[in-house]
Amino acid sequence: MTAERFIVPIGPQHPALKEPGHFEFTVEGETVTDARVRLGYAHRGIEKATESRSWTQNAYLLERICGICSHVHALAYCLGVEKLAGVEAPPRAQVIRALVSELERMHSHLLWLGVAAHEAGFDTLFMYAWRDREQVMQALENLTGNRVNYSANVLGGVKCDVTDDHRRQIMKMIKSLSDRIDHYLSVVESDRALLQRTHGVGTLTHEQAESLGVTGPVARSAGVTQDLRRDAPYAAYADFPVRVMVAQSGDLKARFLVRLNEMLESIRLIALMLDHLPAGDLEARMPRKIKAGETISRVEAPRGELFYYIKSAGGDMPERVKVRTPTLANMASVIVLSVGHQLADIPMILAGIDPCFSCNDRMVTAITPQGNQVLTWAQVRQYGIDFYKRQAERAGS
Amino acid sequence: MNTLTTLAAIVIFPAGLFLLANGLVYDWIDRKLVARMQNRLGPRWFQPFADMTKLFIKEDTTPQGAHWLLFHTLPVIALAAVLTAALFLPLFGLPPLVSFSGDLVVTVYLLSLLTLCIGLAGQVSGSRYTIVGAARVLTQLFAYEAPFLLALLGPALVAESWQLTLIMQANASAWILASQPIGFVIAVLSLMGKLEMPPFDAPEAETEIVAGALTEYGGAGLALFLLAKKAALVSGLTLIAALYLGGIASPLDYLLKTLVLLLMMAMAHAVLTRFRIDQTASLWWRWGLLLMLAQWALVLIAKGG
Repeated sequence: MTAERFIVPIGPQHPALKEPGHFEFTVEGETVTDARVRLGYAHRGIEKATESRSWTQNAYLLERICGICSHVHALAYCLGVEKLAGVEAPPRAQVIRALVSELERMHSHLLWLGVAAHEAGFDTLFMYAWRDREQVMQALENLTGNRVNYSANVLGGVKCDVTDDHRRQIMKMIKSLSDRIDHYLSVVESDRALLQRTHGVGTLTHEQAESLGVTGPVARSAGVTQDLRRDAPYAAYADFPVRVMVAQSGDLKARFLVRLNEMLESIRLIALMLDHLPAGDLEARMPRKIKAGETISRVEAPRGELFYYIKSAGGDMPERVKVRTPTLANMASVIVLSVGHQLADIPMILAGIDPCFSCNDRMVTAITPQGNQVLTWAQVRQYGIDFYKRQAERAGS
Repeated sequence: MNTLTTLAAIVIFPAGLFLLANGLVYDWIDRKLVARMQNRLGPRWFQPFADMTKLFIKEDTTPQGAHWLLFHTLPVIALAAVLTAALFLPLFGLPPLVSFSGDLVVTVYLLSLLTLCIGLAGQVSGSRYTIVGAARVLTQLFAYEAPFLLALLGPALVAESWQLTLIMQANASAWILASQPIGFVIAVLSLMGKLEMPPFDAPEAETEIVAGALTEYGGAGLALFLLAKKAALVSGLTLIAALYLGGIASPLDYLLKTLVLLLMMAMAHAVLTRFRIDQTASLWWRWGLLLMLAQWALVLIAKGG
């Protein structure tokens, strides 16, 4: 064994990553002995951009933070702004919000199932999971008009209604999907080739889950009973109690089981919501300017707890919007869990938290020869101007 | 046979160009089968040919830190080794071009040269992914090679000859598959290991090490390696069909038997999750080798009795 450290870089561009992130794994043979992560390749400055857009425009901007869990971003924002304005959305709107959330959770978890299977080298499961996911996408498109950024939320309510046609379509869809998910559960529990890649791999103990502050399915797979839909009900979740799916073992298999069981729970909730949809308006009237104040709003995204901090100075634009996505909370667990595992397990451990890189990139730091440095907004602006000036000079010369 | 026809047989048909075309067609069949099993459409028939054409047109680059001579000669050696190995095989149901006592062993070793070349190519490419990939290629080579050789020598043991034509003659009446099923299964699985087909594709696991040992290759170098692999696929299928499935008597016989084998491999590809390299190694040494030795013991006892 040489004294020199052998580092395998993964990213920013790598087939295992669908978004840019940079990981450095120090390996001895095939065993990982050290891991480092560097995020921030897909920083888009959305938080800053909210400060120069109206309250209404921001709902659409924030929805574009994530391409998978877009609805929960708009939902968390709308709930926060409604709280600031002292307006409450009508009951029917609240149920539709929860309904779209559950549909979104299903398509997100099916997407994850496919990605995780692909990382393990089980492409057949990948193809099947994504084929089934298409049904949910269809249902969402029928309901809201969009496949990805549904824009179901508006400030004070929702913009789309659930008709009898939608109800029939969705009931048909969840009936066929429930069989498929049962089948995937049996595959995940009994397929020996898959089990040898998931059983006992990437085990997160209950203590680690608590101390690292992981959230969502990752925490629940390690026995942490935590789900905002139950702990701090929002939208209509107080009327439709959620059974929290928990597993104890904390390994990758547990994460498969938790997510698959959550889909079955979503199916139960969707059927219940469609049966008990209250009649009434879809929107409450919102003022154009929101009175000064600050608030936080939390919702359970498919990946875990999504946190919004919103501050208003009384104008028609927010003073500050701060977002913390669940990936940021879960990222530390990847670094801790990687050490001691085989290099081959790393993509699965990484995929196990269902990472969403561009959602969690939000730091304003620049790597300079003097080391990392936090820049003020004016400095960032100057840096940008200088950067493009240098580039133009280089292109000109 | 005069020199010209011999040359034509080696370069054009049934070895040489025909073998390469055959390999590409079989590659397409494999991809199509897997795609249909995965609920996809799969590529159209000319896709492998188009891939090869594109690769040959592309610029050939040498990565920084690579050994120039080895980097460019290894693909040629690999392809040459596989094409040579094919001369001893009853390609397309025709009698082998060359046959001598012990040609079976020579064939197996020439096929191994392909794997060695891929491993070496990874070592000299000078990239981290290729070095990890090369280590895995060689680990896998040591894992499946012994069971593979033993599995191929099982039928030879029955025929009491290491010459392919004689083994085929001796076994034409009864399929060895019936008497040595373990050997057959291990031969097919080790061939998948040799060709780095899923689930034994840890050496080129794209989600971990990009493309493994061949990551730095592009253009003609990569095309030669891929052609060598396709040719090795056809050679391996022919070898197993000849040894275990009662020999190959005619082109129709050849197509039928090799395609059934290809279907089996595609199914294994579709239903299994990739093995980690340590799992592959322990699978072959713990199960493959021991079962193979047990099979040998049974054959020897049966022959002695």
